[in-house]
Amino acid sequence: MSRASRSGAALAIAAALLWSMWSTDVSLRRLVEGGPFMLGFIRRMLPPDLSVLGQALHGALQTLQIALLGTAVAAVLAIPLALAAARNTSPRWLFYCTRSALNVFRAIDTLVYALFFVAAVGLGPFPGVLAVVVYTTTVLAKLFSEAIEAMDPGPVEAVQAVGASRLQVLRWGVLPQLGPEFVSFTLYRFETNIRAAAVLGFVGGGGIGFYIQTYLRLLNYPAASTVLLVLIVMVMLVDYTSSRLRARLI
Amino acid sequence: MIEVRHLSKRYPSGSVALDDVTLDISAGEFVTLIGPSGAGKSTLLRSINGLVAPSAGTITVSGEPVTDASREGLRNVRARVGFVFQHFNLLKRLSVLDNVRIGTLSRIGLWPSLAGLFPEGESERARRALRRVGLAGLESRRADTLSGGQQQRVGIARALVQEPRVLLADEPMSSLDPALSRSLMELLQHVNREDGVTVIASLHVLDLALHYGERIVGLRAGRVVHDGPPATLTPAVAATIFGDARA
Repeated sequence: MSRASRSGAALAIAAALLWSMWSTDVSLRRLVEGGPFMLGFIRRMLPPDLSVLGQALHGALQTLQIALLGTAVAAVLAIPLALAAARNTSPRWLFYCTRSALNVFRAIDTLVYALFFVAAVGLGPFPGVLAVVVYTTTVLAKLFSEAIEAMDPGPVEAVQAVGASRLQVLRWGVLPQLGPEFVSFTLYRFETNIRAAAVLGFVGGGGIGFYIQTYLRLLNYPAASTVLLVLIVMVMLVDYTSSRLRARLI
Repeated sequence: MIEVRHLSKRYPSGSVALDDVTLDISAGEFVTLIGPSGAGKSTLLRSINGLVAPSAGTITVSGEPVTDASREGLRNVRARVGFVFQHFNLLKRLSVLDNVRIGTLSRIGLWPSLAGLFPEGESERARRALRRVGLAGLESRRADTLSGGQQQRVGIARALVQEPRVLLADEPMSSLDPALSRSLMELLQHVNREDGVTVIASLHVLDLALHYGERIVGLRAGRVVHDGPPATLTPAVAATIFGDARA
């Protein structure tokens, strides 16, 4: 990049930032004035009201189940879609159709899907599961298809060359290459989905988010803080376990 | 043993890799294939085990057709033709032993092979092949933790465990340094002399071909331009093959 275009780019970025600050009413004064409220809010959350621990754990478990079921179903659905969305396993027309469709559906977040499914099938964890399934399928299909495209064709050819049958080639030439990557991507999405599923309750999609929202609305901050603590512990446990597992896979 | 008749290969891009190649190779021969890159050495070797489908011509191995073979027929031919690849083509995440046992897949039942249950006899054969290529003790190592020379030995062991009649080697040394190349060429020579396996190896280094080849086939632009023992490969002939303008 030339010096002129570099300083042009820097100017454009600075202009975009200033414009965004102006449009979003950024105000240091309001932030400072809000300070005592924030401190008060945290003070009112303490000490946590442990009498709602049972509810919090129940909500956390449900969030875990929504994420687990949603991710697992999505991983299965993503495999055929990924084959259709990979340049090297799919005819050109199907590749373009699938890629475009995946891009369209991936543009919408889990929470928006949850609003849609709550309207369609009613309140509760079930629409939450559906929302996780739809969004995660589009993300995993993209990741899987990129792994399929990056697969080394050499070892596959080597297995064919020993006179192996098609299924044997899949088992010994393809699976050892793709299997660990697919599982790793799925675990990673599971970690992310725990966070996504935690807020599904805000829109009626079940799980721990329902309790967070309810206690905040009731201004019962000690109860809300117990629920938040349970959420934090659950997310950390899942992240830790899942990343240990992923490190062993690859 | 191997009969290649009027073999031509034209790729969809329009480039001609092989142009009317006819070649007879008898059982037990050690043939080296030389020529500049793009001369068609790889295409010829890959046609012999059906990894490349030629545009015209026929190939038979031990009287069995490779070109126009049924899926089943092609698998039967491949089962007895070992192939050693330039870039080894191992399954990186699998153990050394599993990589070698892949060579036994054509002999074992579908379900045990999918479940990874190799019969003890086949596992023993794989361990023997590893001892033969000098890798005893490394069975449980992950393939990608081995050095390049060791990985190519695993590739050779995978081919040996097939108990092949023919061993095809596609520039097996070009990713390795010269000292390793010589020791691996000697390994191929032992396999040829002790087991009577027909070996066809393409080489990019002329002196390896001169030293180890009993019969040297020179390819240039998809045609056979030389075929004879090392003594007949004079500098003038080499210049014809490699297209040296000074000759």
